[in-house]
Amino acid sequence: MGREVGIVGVGQTHHSRRRTDVSQAGLVREAVNRALADAKLSMDEIDTVVVATGPVLFAAVNQPEKWVVDAIGAQGKSVVRVTSGGGAGFAGALAGYYQVAGGYSERTLVVAYDKLSEGQLQYSISTLYDPFWGREFAVGIMGFSAAYWRARMDVLGHTEEAAAMVSVKNRKNSIANPYAHVKKEVTVEDVLNSKPLCWPIKLLDVPPISDGAAAIVLANDKVAHHSTTRPAWIRGIAYCCEADNAPERSLMLSEPLAIAAKRVYRAAGITNPRRQFDVVELQEPYSCFELNYYESLGLCPPGEAAELVASGATQLDGDIPVNPSGGCMGANPIGAVGVIRLIEGATQVMGRNESHQIKGAKTALVQSGGGWANLRGCAVLSA
Amino acid sequence: MFAAPETYKHDLPTFHSQISMPYTLTPGRAAGTFLAEMPNRRIVGSRFPGGMVIAPAQDFSPVDGEEPEALVQVPESGVLTAFTRVGGVVIGLIRLDGCANEFPHRILADLDVLSVGQRVAAQWSDGDEGTSITAIKGFVLAPEAPEGKVTDLADPAEPLGVIDYSMSLDFEHAYGPYYGRMFDEIREHGRIIGIRTSNGEDALLPPREVDDITHKRTGTWKACGNTGTIRGCSIINMEILGQSRKPPYVYAEIVLDGASTRMIHVIEIDDLESAKEKIRPGTRVRAIWTDGERQGRVSDIDRFEVIED
Repeated sequence: MGREVGIVGVGQTHHSRRRTDVSQAGLVREAVNRALADAKLSMDEIDTVVVATGPVLFAAVNQPEKWVVDAIGAQGKSVVRVTSGGGAGFAGALAGYYQVAGGYSERTLVVAYDKLSEGQLQYSISTLYDPFWGREFAVGIMGFSAAYWRARMDVLGHTEEAAAMVSVKNRKNSIANPYAHVKKEVTVEDVLNSKPLCWPIKLLDVPPISDGAAAIVLANDKVAHHSTTRPAWIRGIAYCCEADNAPERSLMLSEPLAIAAKRVYRAAGITNPRRQFDVVELQEPYSCFELNYYESLGLCPPGEAAELVASGATQLDGDIPVNPSGGCMGANPIGAVGVIRLIEGATQVMGRNESHQIKGAKTALVQSGGGWANLRGCAVLSA
Repeated sequence: MFAAPETYKHDLPTFHSQISMPYTLTPGRAAGTFLAEMPNRRIVGSRFPGGMVIAPAQDFSPVDGEEPEALVQVPESGVLTAFTRVGGVVIGLIRLDGCANEFPHRILADLDVLSVGQRVAAQWSDGDEGTSITAIKGFVLAPEAPEGKVTDLADPAEPLGVIDYSMSLDFEHAYGPYYGRMFDEIREHGRIIGIRTSNGEDALLPPREVDDITHKRTGTWKACGNTGTIRGCSIINMEILGQSRKPPYVYAEIVLDGASTRMIHVIEIDDLESAKEKIRPGTRVRAIWTDGERQGRVSDIDRFEVIED
């Protein structure tokens, strides 16, 4: 590998259910301005730009990067758009990482966003299905996510109570997150009694629909010090894929995430994730996913996720706090979420997280994913 | 990877699909003000630091991304800088007087009398076009129109927050030899055929040319059963766009007997609570085909039903 890559500046919008005061481009600008200011840089000092969003059907603007360029003053720069469903932001960060690590850019701006108030979220996702084979009966992402959870319930013991505990934990954590827009404490009973939408998924297992953008500045080890004395170095990052409908595909552990974790842990020298990580940020659109990721990332053995969350270990004061930011439960501008999770992980190891700084956090694990559970990735950040 | 033989017919029937959705778009302050001023018959532009004016108004400078210092009223006259005819309509690029950019609109003149550099002026629509840019019906040739001036925008209207929009896209997908063979069989004989893996007896559904696991060419065709087993399922209890029936019903991923991959389909239910008990991973189900004429689609199977013990 070429150069070391660090996150040296971060910025996100104050996410909300619907922003009618700004266009998509205006939303992006807010996050970019904050990230550049945080990195003590101007757009002139950025070599390349990656714009990441979810499917264009979310907001009906095709190739929105051409619009975004005007708003962020990126005219004349290398600009590429990356899209990968819910993992778009993370995939964008990976693309930016490759540019800097490979020596093609000294500083790369990655900005990710979605303005979900503009379109039909679940139906847009239904269009991701094979038009011949499945789209006629697709129910967005919620129908299949709930079906997978149902399968795991019997085999791995991912109960409704365990998922409810995830929702309770993350919703409580998001109250202190200045960028979240859903800030309401709920109980396990509230979650269990909330309306079934795609049972076993119930209303309070579901994150909000949000408008929001998030940006990070990546810099190599030569120039990072111009922005901060304490970058969040990316010690490993990977984003893997499995076949959409292959015969051996399991609905249990996320295979691509397990593969990504193996690669990233090796690069970062992680042999005991539960002990070595100080803090974890996961993308849990639907509470049941967080249980799946505990196991796929090796925070606990398969079948023990329910026990892990019940033990309190993943709470703020536990030995492996997961989603101190509140995760997706506080805000879920889908395309931006991969970058938001990276920001939350990065600011933890930089010692300046705005929601809940985990004391002395040195090493963070960040996870994100898209597609139907078939695209999954993770990264290890450390100061 | 494996091309169809050259004798393969190329003008085969296609699979029609449509994606149709409503949207609520947000134009932002500048464009939102431009649109809100359309009923007032004022054209709004943005003035940026340095004096550059862009119309229609934009929130960000196309030169350097700066924000405008003020919204302004721009003249209704300008210069034609390019034109073409599309579907019988003449479209031109117009640079309004005092502005640095061009924007497209309809030109209300025949193509053969147009030339680049001609003076043009806006003609407002007689009808009520609301807050659409079509309140400007188009631009007419106006050789005598004096050079207009950009002026301050007095009492600007509140910018539009949201604009209703809809998009409907029609697609004609090519089946290809593998899907084509399967859907022919569905239409003609009301049965589902898959293709054997490269090294086993189980069928892949939908059929494909390459085995995902071995990366070798798949085997021979095989009829799958009309019955199968649920791998995963959820009870749909909310309405979303594009649903084939009213909730509640079950969304199920089913492995047909003889196959090794899943198909997505639905099971009708009476109520939520009994469905939780009765329909679960491992439950055996049977395909119920449509009574009507089969179209060669997965929806030729109307639904699946639980096989009672």
